[in-house]
Amino acid sequence: MKNIKILTIILSPFFIGWIALFLGTYGITPSMVIKIILNETVHIFNVGDVPEKTIVIDIRLPRVVLAGLVGGALSVSGVTLQGIFRNPLVDPFILGISAGAAFGCALTIGFLSVVPIQVMAFLFAVLAVVITYFVAMTQGEVSRLPLILSGVIVSAFFTAMVSIVKFLVDPHKLQSIVYWLMGSFSLSDWKAVKLATFGIAFGVLPIFFMRWRLNVMSMGEEEAKALGVNIKRERLLFIGFSTFAVAVVTSLCGIIGWVGLMVPHLVRMLTGPDHRTLVPLSFSAGAGFMIAADTLSRTLTSFDIPVGIITAITGAPFFMYLMKRGGREAWGR
Amino acid sequence: MLSVKDLHFCHKGSVEEVLKGISFEARKGSITTILGPNGSGKTTLFNCISGLWNYQKGNVSVDGVPINKLSFRERARFFAIVPQEHEPPFPYSVLDVVLMGRASYVGIFSSPNKEDYERAEEAIGLVGIEHLKNTPYTKISGGERQLTLIARALAQSSPVMLLDEPTSHLDFRNQINVLKKIRQIALEKDLTVIITLHDPNLTSLFSDKVLVINSGTKIAEGSPEEIITEDLIKRIYGVEVKKAFVNGQSIICPIYHKYSFRYGREAVG
Repeated sequence: MKNIKILTIILSPFFIGWIALFLGTYGITPSMVIKIILNETVHIFNVGDVPEKTIVIDIRLPRVVLAGLVGGALSVSGVTLQGIFRNPLVDPFILGISAGAAFGCALTIGFLSVVPIQVMAFLFAVLAVVITYFVAMTQGEVSRLPLILSGVIVSAFFTAMVSIVKFLVDPHKLQSIVYWLMGSFSLSDWKAVKLATFGIAFGVLPIFFMRWRLNVMSMGEEEAKALGVNIKRERLLFIGFSTFAVAVVTSLCGIIGWVGLMVPHLVRMLTGPDHRTLVPLSFSAGAGFMIAADTLSRTLTSFDIPVGIITAITGAPFFMYLMKRGGREAWGR
Repeated sequence: MLSVKDLHFCHKGSVEEVLKGISFEARKGSITTILGPNGSGKTTLFNCISGLWNYQKGNVSVDGVPINKLSFRERARFFAIVPQEHEPPFPYSVLDVVLMGRASYVGIFSSPNKEDYERAEEAIGLVGIEHLKNTPYTKISGGERQLTLIARALAQSSPVMLLDEPTSHLDFRNQINVLKKIRQIALEKDLTVIITLHDPNLTSLFSDKVLVINSGTKIAEGSPEEIITEDLIKRIYGVEVKKAFVNGQSIICPIYHKYSFRYGREAVG
């Protein structure tokens, strides 16, 4: 039973991705999608130069792949931070990443239009976490609660700064800031996919290898120390890797909430809390969920609804349902 | 063998010493109990020995190896610590919790291997909780949870085991069961076991040696039969007790007559 669940979760992004490729304003048959993909990858089924090929390979596929990578990265950092903060309500943005990225974006759109938004969003996202870390530090020690508290403070500060920028800029620029803040994949291309892959290789992959340590660290600081974990160093590594991954993906597609909070819960309820399975499965479940949400966001209406709205609208009721049904089990209460 | 020499400790920014030069030795294959009232420095001593807190002066060594300069990873191979009962945030299975004892042997970028599993299974077998292996740690009783934590400490394969009030949350039956298990394992595996306990009777029932501390200084050290006397209990707890012998074991009982207040006076003796 558990193996079936695991297999379903692993295959979900591929299946949902396949559906996502044939849905859209330009109708393409499901079998055509498969033919086109096989044509591109292993060069069988010569489909010729049909317009479907360009739509699938250059427009829909990068968008689907990017959505998958972003969903996976957000979910894995959600799992990581929930584990090291021993709190199931923590999301990837707890240390100020989203507010920092938002400020970087607002600043660029508002006043520094020569600099790419992605660069500034990334830099300010990382800066926010660094500030959070140093604010939390007392006498060279950083512990759990001060970190969360200073994350709240730094988030509040950067959110206020974003508000100032929003208040000062002209309405056209304000519109693009607001659109960016809601998160969207409408500008996806293969270059963005490459950047996301880079973020995952240096952010998510190390977490994948370190994932068993999360079990030990989730038992608490004193206990992890007693079990032989250099808690200060390893927590810094986890925070560093997940910050890098989240900052990269946030800079590419804006702030997409809920995924990093919800997906780890869903997976924990389905296959248990052991991080050795939880981390990889959260990646695929997050990928699948994000592809589905993005497909909805571009097919529901004739224009692109920001995907952050879809994740919140579908996420909140789904989360409520899960809480009623399996929350007690998954949180061990 | 664990030896503690002239241990001094005070909290950061404070001048008052919590430990004022404590020395003692604990031998292999035996249980040494630290007994003392609340606030006596028991837990501080415990945390200093295990290296979680840094002491200002003194020396702790295991078989002649000084401990204070070791990294967390190396230290975990000398000391296995059984914490007081706690509620974990996520419902890991009992086996997963016991496996955590192997953290000091598992590289930072890897997961437990076959040997780690073997050690964990062996430890689970030793404390006799095989039937709970796959049960969530949150779904078992307090006694079973304590046994799981003991198994985790055993999986660490360290020569010294430290237990901080292992019986404080347990019912009468589980107190006896857990302490019996600890004693059996200590003798079988030739471990140096150090426990803190609150109950002088459990102390004399299960330990080979008792170390009595009060306000940061050592009051007495020796076999519980000799050390735990009416005078000593009066001195450290301020409670009048009577010592008796049952089945060749010494026990103490507080002097108190529950009906005395009815007659307007507190009966003594």
